[in-house]
This record gives sequence, C-alpha cells and structure tokens, in this order.
Amino acid sequence: MELLLQTIVNGVVLGAGYAVVAVGLTLIFGIVGIANFAHGAYFAIGAYGCYLLTGQGLSYFLAVPVAVLIVAGIGVITELAIVRRSLYGDAHHGSLIVMFALGQAIIAALILLFGPDPHPVPSPLGQTTFNVFGILVTAQRAFIFGCSMVVLAAFGLWLGFTVKGQQIVAVAQNARGALYSGINVPMIRTLAFVLGVAAAGLAGALLAPIVTAYPTMGHGALIVGFTVVILGGMGSISGALLGALLMGVANALFETYVSVSWTPALGWILVIATLLLWPQGLRGRAQLHRH
Amino acid sequence: MQPSSTSAAVLAAEPARDGVPAPAMRPGPTSLSIWLLLGAAIAAIAAFGFAVSDPFIVTLAGYTCAFALFALSINIMLGGIGEVPLGQCVFFGIGAYGVGIGMVKLGLPFELSVAAALVISVAAAAALGALTLRLTGAYFSIVSWGLSGVAMVAATNLESLTGGPLGLFGFSALSVGPVLLTDPQSYFFVTASLLVAAVLFLVAVRRSPFGAAMESVRQNRHLAQSVGVDVTRVRLKAFMLSAPLAALGGALCVPYTQIVTPEVFSVANTVDGLLMVLLGGSQLIVGPVIGAVIFSIIPHFLELDPNVRILIFSSAIIAIMMFAPGGLHQLAVALRQRLRRDGHA
Repeated sequence: MELLLQTIVNGVVLGAGYAVVAVGLTLIFGIVGIANFAHGAYFAIGAYGCYLLTGQGLSYFLAVPVAVLIVAGIGVITELAIVRRSLYGDAHHGSLIVMFALGQAIIAALILLFGPDPHPVPSPLGQTTFNVFGILVTAQRAFIFGCSMVVLAAFGLWLGFTVKGQQIVAVAQNARGALYSGINVPMIRTLAFVLGVAAAGLAGALLAPIVTAYPTMGHGALIVGFTVVILGGMGSISGALLGALLMGVANALFETYVSVSWTPALGWILVIATLLLWPQGLRGRAQLHRH
Repeated sequence: MQPSSTSAAVLAAEPARDGVPAPAMRPGPTSLSIWLLLGAAIAAIAAFGFAVSDPFIVTLAGYTCAFALFALSINIMLGGIGEVPLGQCVFFGIGAYGVGIGMVKLGLPFELSVAAALVISVAAAAALGALTLRLTGAYFSIVSWGLSGVAMVAATNLESLTGGPLGLFGFSALSVGPVLLTDPQSYFFVTASLLVAAVLFLVAVRRSPFGAAMESVRQNRHLAQSVGVDVTRVRLKAFMLSAPLAALGGALCVPYTQIVTPEVFSVANTVDGLLMVLLGGSQLIVGPVIGAVIFSIIPHFLELDPNVRILIFSSAIIAIMMFAPGGLHQLAVALRQRLRRDGHA
C-alpha cells in the first residue's frame, strides 16, 4: 500500500514536469498550427542557460527566470527569421521538416559549444526531502510541482480572462475571422510561439538539477511532450495537464510493477491506443483541416 | 515551383506551356530519354567500378547506393503521398535485423535472409499502415516516429533474438550466389545494379494508374476521394511499396557496417534519408539518389566533425525548404527556364 501510494505520488510529480513541456507544445500547435519538433531543443537551451547563469554565481531561483527570458529571446529570433517566413499558409509537410531540422541544428550547436558531456546544475534545494505520512518527495520535485501548477493556472486564466488571451483563442478558432475583426494575427502567432518555447525553456531549467544539462536531453522531453499532447488532445491546456498526470502515473506504475527497460515504449503504446479509440485525444475539440 | 495543389491540377491535364499542348499525363521523361539515362547510368557505374581502385571509396560508394535505396523508400511517402515518414527506419531496421537474425542466429544464407526480411517488412507495413495511416500530417509523423522508438526498445530488450544493446555481429559469408559482398568492387556492383532496378521500377510505378492515383492523393486527398480514388487503399499500398525498399537498403548496409545494433532503428537514419530526398528534390524520381551522392561525398572530402555536418545539413534543409522546396531539381529547372527565356529574347 505504501509502495503504491509512493508510486502514484512520484507519478503525479513526474507528470507535473511533463505538463510544462506539453503546455508549450499544445499552445504552439493550437495557435500557430505547427507541430514544434524543435521543442526539445528549447528545453535544452533552458537547462544550459541555467547551467551558465549558476556558473556565474547567480542564485538558482534567479537563474531560472533569466534562462526563460533567454529562451524567449531565442524564440523571438527564430520565429521572425524562420518560422513565420517559411511556414504560414503552408499546411503540408514543410513545417514538420523545417522544425525538425531547426531542432537538430540547435542540438548540434549545443554539442559544439558545450561538448557532449552532461553538466551538473546545482540547486539550493539539493537533496532535501519531505516526508508526508511516510511518502517521500524531494524538495526539487515539490518545487517543480508548484511551479508547474502556477504556470498552468496562469496560462489558463490569462487565456480565459485577458484581452490578449482572448485574441489568442480567437486566432486558434478562426485565424481569418480574427484577422477581419482587427486582431494582429502575425503578432499573436509570434506571441504564442514565444510563450510556448519559453514554457519549454522553463521546464528545462526546472528539471536541469535532477537530470543534469546535456545536449540531447530534449529528445526525451519532446517525445513525452508529444505523447502527452496527443493523449490530452492537441490544443487543449486542460488536456495537457490531464494527459501529463496520466502519463506520469502510468510511467511510474509501469516502472515499479512491470519493467523498467520497457517503460520508454509505454507512452507510444498509450498514444496509439488513444488515437484509435478517441482520435481527438481525451479533451481535444474536433479539428478542422486548414488547407 | 510545385504544381498548384488546387482542384484543377487533379482533374485537368497539365496546362499547356508556350502554346504547346501538354501530354495528358503529368510530364515525365520520354521513353527514349529514359533509355539514354539508363545507358549513361550503367556506363557511369561500370566506369566507376573498374576505374576507381581505392577500396575504401568503392565500399563507400556501395554503401551510398544501399542508403539511396532507403532514401527512395522515404520519397515514396514524401514525394509520393506527401507524408513525412519519420519512422521509416523501422523497415530499414527490419532489413538489417533480418540479415542479422537470419545469418547469425538461424544460419540461413544471405539471399534467403534478405528475402525473409522483405516479406516481413511488407507484412509489418500492412499491419502498421492499417493502424497509423488513418492519421495524416503531424499526427502520422509523430506516431510513426514513436513506432521506431518502440522498435528500438524492443531490439534492445529482446536479447535472445537480437543480441540486446551489443547487437549481432560475426557474419560468415556475406554473398549473393557466387558474388562475395565483402569484396568492395562486387559490393558496389550489386548495390548499384539493385539501385538502378529500383529506380526503373519506380518510373514504371509513377507512369501506372496507381502512380497517378498517388499523385492525386498527394495534391488533394479530399478531391481525389471525391473523384473515386480509394485514398485509404492508395496510401496503404504506397506504404507497403515503400517498406521492402527500405528493408533492402537496410539489409545491403550490413556488409558495410558488419554489425546490427538497435541504433538501426534510430530516427537519425530517417533524418539522413530525408536530407538526401530534400537535397535532390522530392518530385524527381532520381532526386534521392542525387541527394545521397552529395550527402556522402561532401563529408568525406571535407572530413567534417559529425556535429558540424549535422549543423550544416540541417541549416541547408531549412534554407532549401524556405527558398527552394523542390530541392536542387527545382533550382535546375528554374535555371533552365531562365536560360531558355534569355535565348528566346
């Protein structure tokens, strides 16, 4: 019983980390209309930003927001230079390939700049653990869980109750209609892309003390992000949260009770099953083709 | 430029250019030019195989031909029906593991192992295609990528069959009949002639009614459906056609690598193949072959660090997709048209 509870708590905490990655992906897919195959690269940039800043003597808690700002800055540059110029109005395979190549290029650049070896990122939370009724949670994991909930809630409230947020929702629903009612659609898309990759950077910065910073760290995050987003339904924030928690708990249970070495296959099997049973995902809305 | 993907392009024949009525089918090379190109290709292969003596270069050329088969397979999906098959390395891996398991574990000869791998790859494509081809665009790419991840995990964990993370090695006689594939020259001739055969086969496919159906699905699958093309069936057939080509490529890479590890299922292989397709141009049947040659020559002569190579090629892909989505083929066509216009003026 204790083991089961501990496993579920581990899974929920793990899922909270996934949720931050997935919320960025789902935002970009819903509003910009592209599957961001470069998401993992921004995740890695967030972690490396944290590594560099803490190496300069900056406190971890300051390094995280600054790293997120760096990722957002790089997001703005790539959006203006590549994403907007090559992808809009182009619904076929072009965007997939460009984003994939962009991700590969960023990862190769990270290897050339920092080497292929992992770099540890110190966190003041260290190895502290909380013991709640016999269930152990490390302080860093609790911090990630808290940040994740705050970020998701902020995203949800912002989209629901602010003018900019409502404009984003409008663009997601009908970009042409939004354009006709005076919304600056390209600006909104840039905003959504930058927020999405900034969320990836935040996730990288938060997870860096646990997994260390290494160039291909984003691969795992990207794969998990996609599985979560498909499970929850592309474009839905509550779906991203639900999918992330489900995936986290399922992974933890599978790892504890079935097999560690087969766990990486579990996510994909869940995704394929989801797409066969509920093609829109658990909380996705029916998607119109944008051709 | 790409043909416009509007409805008219599927229903009507190619619009007449310069007042000359266009043929009813999409413009392709005439029979005569195909025979000429074939002769030139055979002459080039023979000249290269007999004239170049450096065994390393000849082996690399053979490996390039094997990988070009894989690129052709990717292009059946990309240039044929317009999907990005990130998981095509599954079939590449089935080919490689077919040879590995067949020869090392079961003691079968090379030819029989390859034949078994081809059959298995078609069966796998039928099963996976039935499950995943109902998805399109990003969904198909992601799930197909995921399948390659599952295949890699399976290859790592099924140690009794696949040798686990260390892989399978220690091949006895890699030969096709009396031809020994460990000899660089014969390896090159075998892979090159199979590549030529594959290209000819794909030319025939493109000219067949099935090729036309594939093209209509790529341009606009809803319209294709509405004029009576069975889209699901065409997509599945294209997938099942692409699988054995990828498996053949994977199997023929084994004489070069001499080892089969779970890495054959890595998406990096698909990315290399995609790069070849995009460099050469996805709408030209030999585009992937041209891309494969460029892709393997440049790193060899520049002796690049693999990461610099990835950086350069990825940036090249972004530039190609932004400025010339048809690849080098499109640039060549644009250049020819400009020259012709200048000639007339």
